[in-house]
Amino acid sequence: MLVKFLATYRQIANCKSCDMPAPSNVLELMEALCARWPEFDGLILNDERTDKGDDVIILVNGRHIEHLNGVATPLTEQDYVVITPLVAGG
Amino acid sequence: MTQANGWIGTILRINLTEGSIKKEPLNMQDAHDYVGARGLGTKYYCNEVDPKIDPLSPDNKLIFMTGPLTGTAACSSGRYEVVSKAPLTGIIGAANSGGHFGPELKYAGYDGIIFEGKADHPVYLHIDDDKVELLDAGELWGQGVHETTEALEAKHGKVRVSCIGTPGERCMLYAAIMNDKNRAAGRGGMGAVMGSKNLKAIAVRGTGGVTVARPEGFMREITKARTMLKEHPVTGNGLGTFGTEILVNIVNEVGGLPLRNGRDGSYWDKADDTSGEHLNETHLVKNQGCFGCSIACGRVTKIEGKGDLDGFGEGPEYEAGWSYGAACGVNDISSIVKANFICNEQGMDPITLGSTVACAMELYEMGAIPEEDIGFPLRFGDAAAMVKLTQMCADGEGFGKIIGLGSYRLAEKYGHPELSMSVKKQEMPAYDGRAIQGIGLEYATSNRGGCHVRGYMISPEVLGIPVKLDPQVTEGKGAMLKTFQDLTALCDSTGMCLFTTFGIGLPEIAGQYREAVGSDETDEEILLKGERIWNLEKRFNMEAGVEKDTLPPRLLREALPSGPAKGKVNELQTMLADYYEARNWTADGIPTPEKLAELNVTY
Ligand code: SF4
Repeated sequence: MLVKFLATYRQIANCKSCDMPAPSNVLELMEALCARWPEFDGLILNDERTDKGDDVIILVNGRHIEHLNGVATPLTEQDYVVITPLVAGG
Repeated sequence: MTQANGWIGTILRINLTEGSIKKEPLNMQDAHDYVGARGLGTKYYCNEVDPKIDPLSPDNKLIFMTGPLTGTAACSSGRYEVVSKAPLTGIIGAANSGGHFGPELKYAGYDGIIFEGKADHPVYLHIDDDKVELLDAGELWGQGVHETTEALEAKHGKVRVSCIGTPGERCMLYAAIMNDKNRAAGRGGMGAVMGSKNLKAIAVRGTGGVTVARPEGFMREITKARTMLKEHPVTGNGLGTFGTEILVNIVNEVGGLPLRNGRDGSYWDKADDTSGEHLNETHLVKNQGCFGCSIACGRVTKIEGKGDLDGFGEGPEYEAGWSYGAACGVNDISSIVKANFICNEQGMDPITLGSTVACAMELYEMGAIPEEDIGFPLRFGDAAAMVKLTQMCADGEGFGKIIGLGSYRLAEKYGHPELSMSVKKQEMPAYDGRAIQGIGLEYATSNRGGCHVRGYMISPEVLGIPVKLDPQVTEGKGAMLKTFQDLTALCDSTGMCLFTTFGIGLPEIAGQYREAVGSDETDEEILLKGERIWNLEKRFNMEAGVEKDTLPPRLLREALPSGPAKGKVNELQTMLADYYEARNWTADGIPTPEKLAELNVTY
């Protein structure tokens, strides 16, 4: 499964994207990212580690997880995930 | 003599035909009702100018207006507005700019300047506190923005300069007015109006200050708002670190980055080459802020080791990065930076220019524009042709003159007006209304034609600020857009930067405004002024003969071929009905006499 990092998350992961085995859902993916890059801990998960942090945007196949099933959104090897800190412009 | 309410209390009225300079008291009732800057400038304009006026005729007026917070300690309060009827669109054209010019004008003792008539030779206005004079601009005429600014600084010392380049002199339809070299009152052709008056520049130096009504309360509100801005990830360090170009990847990933004039959908596998992340690695020198701004989103950039492209300047912002990037199918970041430098150096709107080049590329590839008209091949992705055409447009040479008409007139000339990605003849910016429904509604209803900063629906639809709306659905978009439009009109009119609204909202904007002007109005009463401004603009546009609220047929009928929003078109009619209802207008989108009376919109 392809995971793409944007903005400052690229510096943490030290890459633009990586292939990872697909966990069963988004929450598990975030746990896996924190395990692989401890700097993500405290950034992408909330304090209780039950949901994503407020300042994180996660897209699964281009759709915000808020408009899917949140962190319970299921993942498969074919899915494509983008994870970025909240950014803006205009 | 300043007033103790954020205002100086004085307007300069310059009649260029007569060469006369008058100082008159600020209309405080209108300042109360229409806040300042965009709202107040538009009110002055509506009071004084026939909506049917030819924008480039001597009888048109050009108004520079600050807000009550401009030049104060309020957050990001360096903004001013230029108001006139826009030559590109034929409707109201209020263009906002930052930098330091607006505050300097107030420190010199003036809330705004109204230019009337037309000088019989090129002139510029020099303001040194009380001394105001029209001087000969013969030697400046023919100079670019940077040369003009440097010449005026050399002559008058520490002045802040707002001026036009050579496209403005030629009344090119989307010439910008530039201040502090690289900050732009960019859209709609305010620079053309300035050029039509033979007015090259304003150079101002001010040594006074601005006094607010309730200094303690004002500082309390500022401290609260500044803390919120500092703690918010976007306004705290996101915009300062990456600038606005950081949006490229996220907008592309939701499938909303219009590719090759929107012909090829809105997902691009090369988007990252043009991203804020990549710009930082390749061209960024440092970030930079406007007056009183802790966000500091500006990009100081340079190009080195690229031969003819080499240069130094600012930007691009996200919109220009897109118009010269994805819209033209060009992924060479140096060429994008260069094309934007040319726009800044000569004062041209890069959104319209890049989009017009993109439109020409599509027309060329389909055989509608013969190569002999252009003089060289103009395929999507041809970075060198894009930069060359931008320079030709700046110089008014060959096919560059046609590019200078904007995409609508270009596409119409070659028999395909439907391929202009514009609304009311102004080009839409960098988000596809098929993938992001609410931004399509925003383009269709914007009071100055295709524009993203009249009600930035990307905030809720893509970024989730302040609420998370699904970009692909239509529900709730009409009412949300109405609120965003009103709040934006209010924010623009105070003299604060719209980007503060990523981190603060109505309570903080209204709080700073209230303490500055000494008002006891509620937040809702203050927001109502934003609605009043919106309805005033709409009323002017109706009388000017505005086209109906719609989108290019591509967005309404050509389904996206790929990406996360594959198969989608913009569902405009559904959202328009909700929007007009939220505005309490007729089902045809016309403000009722009752609505205008309720808001006291009169002139
Ligand atoms: S946020 Fe950016 S554009 Fe706005 S005032 Fe600050 S530096 Fe200028």
